[in-house]
Amino acid sequence: MKHLRAMFLAPSVFFTVVLFLIPLTIIVSYSLRTRGVYGGVVDPWTIENYARLFDPLYGMIMVRSVLMSLAATALCLLAGFPTALFIVRNEKHKSLLLNLIMLPFWTSFLVRTYAWMFLLRDTGLINSALMAMGIIKEPLPLLYNETAVIVGLVYGYLPFAVLPIFSNLERLDKALLEAAADLGAKPWEAMFHVVLPLCAPGLRAAGVLVFIPCLGAYLTPDLLGGGKSIMIGNLIQNQFTTARDWPFGSAISLALMAGVMALLIVLIRRDGEEAL
Amino acid sequence: MAIIFGEGNLLGMATALELKALVKQFPTARVVDGISLNIPKGCFYSLLGPSGCGKTTIFRMIAGFSEPDEGEIILNGRRLNGLRPYERPVTTVFQSYALFPHLTAYENVAFGLRRRGETNFDKKVRDSLAMVGLAEKAERFPANLSGGEKQRTALARALVLEPELLLLDEPLSALDPALRKRVRLELKQIQQRIGITFVFITHDQEEALSLSDRIAVMNKGKIEQIGTPREIYLQPATRFVAGFLGAVNWIGPVGVRPEWTRIGRTAPGDVESVAATVETAVFLGDSVHVHAKTADGAVITAQVHDSAVDYENGEQVRLWWDKSDELRVSQ
Repeated sequence: MKHLRAMFLAPSVFFTVVLFLIPLTIIVSYSLRTRGVYGGVVDPWTIENYARLFDPLYGMIMVRSVLMSLAATALCLLAGFPTALFIVRNEKHKSLLLNLIMLPFWTSFLVRTYAWMFLLRDTGLINSALMAMGIIKEPLPLLYNETAVIVGLVYGYLPFAVLPIFSNLERLDKALLEAAADLGAKPWEAMFHVVLPLCAPGLRAAGVLVFIPCLGAYLTPDLLGGGKSIMIGNLIQNQFTTARDWPFGSAISLALMAGVMALLIVLIRRDGEEAL
Repeated sequence: MAIIFGEGNLLGMATALELKALVKQFPTARVVDGISLNIPKGCFYSLLGPSGCGKTTIFRMIAGFSEPDEGEIILNGRRLNGLRPYERPVTTVFQSYALFPHLTAYENVAFGLRRRGETNFDKKVRDSLAMVGLAEKAERFPANLSGGEKQRTALARALVLEPELLLLDEPLSALDPALRKRVRLELKQIQQRIGITFVFITHDQEEALSLSDRIAVMNKGKIEQIGTPREIYLQPATRFVAGFLGAVNWIGPVGVRPEWTRIGRTAPGDVESVAATVETAVFLGDSVHVHAKTADGAVITAQVHDSAVDYENGEQVRLWWDKSDELRVSQ
């Protein structure tokens, strides 16, 4: 019996150790060393890298990342809730619609982000259409700014918002809506006083699922922000590439991870494990 | 046309709800097939029938969750057809109670009053909860209420709005049997005290008989009989009604209920009796059910109220009954 249990546990223990614990240990040790001239790390050991996190220059990037992620999360919830509601109420095409929500995952995120560049750039579809119609004379600055990054984040992570809200709404007892109507609640009142409060766990789960990857995003700000509005992800990437400062890159990564974990702990305390 | 006993107003009271030739067609069946009913004001009225008889569809059409294909629903002179559920002066106690899990008992009861824009509702809510004996549990959430307490919260929530009609959709079926009997008594007392018209949807004939002023027995989308509990039990119009309300021994076209069927080793000299052989005798505590087979193969059940009486299997017995106890049904 004991051997059997060990046998079944072995693969997950192996993967956790090899793919998670060992890399994490390496990152922690890197973050406490000194940068090498051509990248890599050298002695001596130091906590200097963590002290640099409080440099206002980096602090600004972190604050901007959080604000942009919050904006993207809010927009994902605002768009995701009605979408999920529409799918739940569409009994006939429910699974078709759900599959459509997942459809973007069939192609590479990189390709899809490039598609947004073709849409948003000065000679892109939106600007040329507006100019052809004579609505504008000069192309609108749609690409390479924070708005473009937020649009890209919302586009990329909207499915992560729709799915948990959908499953929450799906579990909602339909008799509660009938009871609300029976007691005199108009549809919008039932929505506001019954559906939304009961959907709070789904909305929180959706918020977490969108906010966390947004915070760590680097492809979207890189391509759609044009390097002007960089986020934490880009900062980390730069440390490992152009800046050749692996120890500092590691320290930022760990700080980001700690921040996300703190957020998750707060939410798990509130909703229990099933929130995630 | 269904056979209707005791049609008209109860105690000469005015009609509260009138259903006129209601029809609801589902893809596979006509679930409500031309139902007409008059429900008197202040009446405890039951729609009784097996599952699939159309009673739930009627309830949903009265509440406004579903619209009839044909016919009219008129409540106190006002046509309800086409009105949304929140526009109808009708409230419901749901089978599952449908209490809002994120609101306390108090807030569940206050829900409808808040939707009406009332602000001074505290006394109404407290009185309503007190009426169902839940004054002490106002701040509890539904998850922390027992089944009976949930049921009573649902009742308070529906009654606090002083509806012109209260619909109860199998409200006792989720309770355990002992509690069900107690809640049944409370329900009847509350209805008598407040005088609101109750329309009770049930498949349980004992509930319907014990609670109702008037019962409409339904089968396959049609009304089989309307009458007082006594009328439909003692003078069932159809074989279906006779059988649905209680056990019946059918001897040809004649029906006799087991409790009126007498059994003995010999019959009193002057009565007509049937010879039979005892198959089983089931001891039920307060009575004994003796199942006996006649010469032509019919099994007749006699309920013996003297628990001390015992019959051996295979014993030869005589069965008899008063002619006046025979049920005379149309089909």
